Amino acid sequence: MPSASDTTSAAPAATTTSGRSTFDRVLLGARIVVLAAVAVLVLTFPSLAADPFILSVGVVIASYAALAVSWNFVGGFTGYISLGHAAYSGLGGYATALLITRADLNPWVALVVGAVVVGVLAVPIGIASLRVRGASFVIVSIALVLILLLVAQSWASLTGGAQGLRVPRPFGEDVLRPEQHERFFYLHVAFVAVALLLWWAIDRSRFGMGLKAIREDEDKAQALGVPTGAYKLTVFVISAFMTAMAGGLYALWFGYLDPIFQFSILIGSYMVLMSLLGGIRSLFGPVLGAVVVGYSLEFFKVHYGDSQFHLVALGLLLAVVVLFMPDGVLPAIGSLVDRFRPDQRTSIREMTAEELLEHNQRLERSEATPVATPHERDLETVPSTEEKR
Amino acid sequence: MSGSLLLQTLILGVLLGGLYALLAAGLTLYFGVMRVVMIAHSAFLILAAYLAWFFHRETGLDPLLSLLVTVPLFFGVGYLMQRGLVARLRPATLTMMSVLLTFAIALTIEGLLGFFFSGTQRRINLGYSGTSIEVLGAHVAVVKLIAFGLAAAALAGLFLLLKVTRFGQALRATIQHPEAARLLGINTDRIAGFGFGLGLATAAIGGTALALDSTIYPSLHWHWIGPLMAIIVVGGLGSIPGAAIAALILGVGQSLLQIPMGTTWAQTVFYVALFATLLVRPQGFFGGRLAQRF
Repeated sequence: MPSASDTTSAAPAATTTSGRSTFDRVLLGARIVVLAAVAVLVLTFPSLAADPFILSVGVVIASYAALAVSWNFVGGFTGYISLGHAAYSGLGGYATALLITRADLNPWVALVVGAVVVGVLAVPIGIASLRVRGASFVIVSIALVLILLLVAQSWASLTGGAQGLRVPRPFGEDVLRPEQHERFFYLHVAFVAVALLLWWAIDRSRFGMGLKAIREDEDKAQALGVPTGAYKLTVFVISAFMTAMAGGLYALWFGYLDPIFQFSILIGSYMVLMSLLGGIRSLFGPVLGAVVVGYSLEFFKVHYGDSQFHLVALGLLLAVVVLFMPDGVLPAIGSLVDRFRPDQRTSIREMTAEELLEHNQRLERSEATPVATPHERDLETVPSTEEKR
Repeated sequence: MSGSLLLQTLILGVLLGGLYALLAAGLTLYFGVMRVVMIAHSAFLILAAYLAWFFHRETGLDPLLSLLVTVPLFFGVGYLMQRGLVARLRPATLTMMSVLLTFAIALTIEGLLGFFFSGTQRRINLGYSGTSIEVLGAHVAVVKLIAFGLAAAALAGLFLLLKVTRFGQALRATIQHPEAARLLGINTDRIAGFGFGLGLATAAIGGTALALDSTIYPSLHWHWIGPLMAIIVVGGLGSIPGAAIAALILGVGQSLLQIPMGTTWAQTVFYVALFATLLVRPQGFFGGRLAQRF
């Protein structure tokens, strides 16, 4: 039965304090180098891009990253999987567009005000949908998108109905398309950076600890005095606000809103797939997922645009991720690195109470049969740190 | 609103509700045996509708005959899907991950339908398509009656299967208390697979009934998934009688609202009911304690 005292790795134990910190220092250095390289690559991308089309693909991917990171405030911290976040990105887009055209607001003011409006709307929605867990929550999130699609299509006097809604360009007519792409690329990247910073800050805060406690075991968290309802609602509203902002930014760039694409369960599922693929528990997971999924989506649309092939590809990819790497790519890499770590892993492993129970049940079952799988044998027979000394 | 119009609406509502009840029963079965929310149910429904249409186009025979192929086929697919895919998911995250997995299956089916049959809208033209009979002064299309009859027969069959046969008893035992069922020597894994197959078989029947009467296209399943999900939540997840009652009430409600509000807005009745249920009774109005946590 793994506990904090016996989750040592099977690596040779002959290490000193300095050896351990060397490993960590190398790891830290490697991370800084990789991050710096990625940052340079991202910031120089507009000048490297061969033509405006490639640049526009870059904007699309950055927009996906913005949506995925915004989604991950709820998905990553609380473990509540919302398939319906397209509701907030779509509302953000429509709110921004309507505030510009109807209320004559400055586009950037409209973007922020629109996101605030959506955040306020998310309060009653959050209260209703967070009352239920698991499957019902997902059903509600899907239902929300379907309702909004109905409303956007039917309420033609406000939303333009199936005709769609034209969004005025924020930079005026004299700014050419490539320049526009370039500016919006940087805007999206800046948004992603701010969102990541916020995620990181929450991750390290007491609030974040409470949210993660909800993810691991909501009932126990509540019993320990975590105000689960208030915490869930707060992070839900933050997520809706960020998603609306990302949706508004996209609307300003694209210049046109079509209800079928704005309130689409597909968009919501892209967010889930991206975050899940990269890893919902890691800071950069959703961004990595957005790059992979966003690129493949654009690739499929260019090469197989007329057929429905991109749906098949998306479906199969999602199934593979769910079946074979539900924790995502980045956590998998993290645990791979941990394998080479020279001992002294004293931190509590990221293992939920349910997973621990499952693991223990598996062990109980394998005790009946003499042969355990290698992994389980490791966990059972590796002596604990105390015994070795 | 005239009396005969009201009557006609009521009758159409009941007919529609019957079809909803059949499809929601399938969804409830999956949830009962595996705690799985099967988003792909309506995609299989459309798949069955397409198979019926394709069968009719190729052979010229009555599309109802395609049931001889699709029902066993869907049962097998359901069994394999449960054993091969759903059962592989980690129990700790089963509910959430099964939603994503079945969503992925739905997307794949939609994509393949679009790939093979194109996005064009299809419709079956039968000899009796246009005919309607008069019931108490209301005109009801024959195809709607056939669809309802099919749904009623399938539901009755399902009910008998669950109540009378040994398999049905084992399935109900598995739903009520899996551990106890296992202690009694029931192979709950296999039963769960069969339960899944049974659910998909109802999708085959429902899809064929749907194909008789409506225009079909690959992305049509999104229009069905919302109402069906709303029905099983209102009825209480996991409860078949609850699903049937909720289906009838909401089906009639939708029909009645269509007259003053129009078809699109009338659909919102499902979502209003869904949110109202969650606010007032999250476990559903007709469900048992099963639904509490889900």
